[in-house]
Amino acid sequence: MAAADSPSAALRRRDLCSRGIRLAGKMRSDVIDLLDTYVEQQGLDASASVAAVEGVPAAAAERWDEQTGPQRLLENLAAYRAFRALLAQMLEEQREQLGEADAAVGRALAAILLQVSAFAYHLEELLRLESRGVPSEEGAAPPPPPHLSLFERKLRGLGVLRELAQWAVRSARDLRQLAKPSPGSGAAPSPAESP
Amino acid sequence: DSHIQYERVGADVTMKCGSMDWDAAVTWTANGTDIDESHLNGSYLILKNVDLTQSGQYSCYEGSSWHLKYQTYLRVGTPPKEPVLMCRSNNYPKGFYCSWHLPTPTYIPNSFNISVIHGTREMVCEKDVFPKNRCHIRYVQLFSTVKYKVTLTVTNALGKSSTTLTFDEFAIVKPDPPESVVAKPVPNNPRRLEVSWQNPSSWPDPESFPLKFFLRYRPLILDQWQHVELSDGTSHTITDAYAGKEYIIQVAAKDNDIGTWSDWSVAVHATPWTEEPKHLTTEAQITETTSASTSSFMPPPTTKICDKGAVVGSGAVAVCWTAGLVLAAYGVLFI
Repeated sequence: MAAADSPSAALRRRDLCSRGIRLAGKMRSDVIDLLDTYVEQQGLDASASVAAVEGVPAAAAERWDEQTGPQRLLENLAAYRAFRALLAQMLEEQREQLGEADAAVGRALAAILLQVSAFAYHLEELLRLESRGVPSEEGAAPPPPPHLSLFERKLRGLGVLRELAQWAVRSARDLRQLAKPSPGSGAAPSPAESP
Repeated sequence: DSHIQYERVGADVTMKCGSMDWDAAVTWTANGTDIDESHLNGSYLILKNVDLTQSGQYSCYEGSSWHLKYQTYLRVGTPPKEPVLMCRSNNYPKGFYCSWHLPTPTYIPNSFNISVIHGTREMVCEKDVFPKNRCHIRYVQLFSTVKYKVTLTVTNALGKSSTTLTFDEFAIVKPDPPESVVAKPVPNNPRRLEVSWQNPSSWPDPESFPLKFFLRYRPLILDQWQHVELSDGTSHTITDAYAGKEYIIQVAAKDNDIGTWSDWSVAVHATPWTEEPKHLTTEAQITETTSASTSSFMPPPTTKICDKGAVVGSGAVAVCWTAGLVLAAYGVLFI
């Protein structure tokens, strides 16, 4: 395994970061497109304020600029793994609903699920490059789907998509921070940011 | 003793001369000028339907002794109308600022109170020294889906009014316009202009939060703009400028992912490179000079024509040759 600072590792990191950034951008625009359709199809109010949904990783971060590279990767990875499970759940629920319009939403969800998986893979690769162990997924089994009414499930879906759109923006920024040439091993916070 | 009295425009004002009885003999003055007795009801001064011009110092003197018994400063004004509030982040992700103003003046002092709530958290908006009606907030959290709720209350002696703005973190991001826009002609290229600019200095971290740009340009003589969107880099070469025409050029910026476009930058003017005439001659002198120089009529550079005044050079000769060949070919065809 290449040492974290070797030129080839640095190149691979930059490559993974720039691909990840592009993927995050595509993910975001696809999620936003889906949000418009989802809101309309589910008969929801677009301005509905959804309280923090249980089990959905919040993109909000305090002291984001002070995070270390590995911290960013681990938080992102945990989030996208959770989204992978949540979207799979939504897809399952979507399949139970009938109708042509639902099929389109189902296809869009499946496409985003693929992107989320791909992004999680990028993050795992970046973690390996940092000579960091990739946390296993065994302990983090998704919680059993809560027993919710149809309307509650729709609102939950809205919350999932909204939060994913936020994460896509955050992840692009996280990867740009990572792609910056860092002095030392990257374990120390970047001195460029002034609080 | 002296104090201030605030009254609404159009109100009827009654001023008492301190503790003097109603039937006491008094004289009222406004800014030192005696007030006619017709405005008095006993010792009370009655001002009906006051207007702004009636603001000033009112004094009441005891009839014979001319002792000052009462003095007040009347300020006529209006209660505040709903204020206009706007919030914006031009230094994302550091924070944002809110600024406000009243749509119409009140003519009396106003105080402003602003509250910013993010979810359950109340945030402090630090007032700027300059400009006065502005405050700024540092972001504690980034990438939050929870909306911000900003309430501004304006209060004065005659009333109060407030307005509330609700927005999410991404929506108010609007950078300042790009700076140091420069447009230059490109030597030997009559249809090109090279434009360069810099990120606005208020944008703290263009590396992690890159900006994209929108360039617009048109010749001064036309109304319609050409547009180019640029996802990276701070320069662009215009390649379709009209030769010899002066252009006006502007650039705007936007965060790559979120928010809205900045205002347009300061406009710059530039004219593409044009070939310098070899002699600056008048019509009369042209007929006297011999063939070696270019004529005062400048053919467009892309279409060298084979005429008497053309420069004698290998390029021109080749064209003349080609034209000659074509003519000869036609000639052959028609034989």
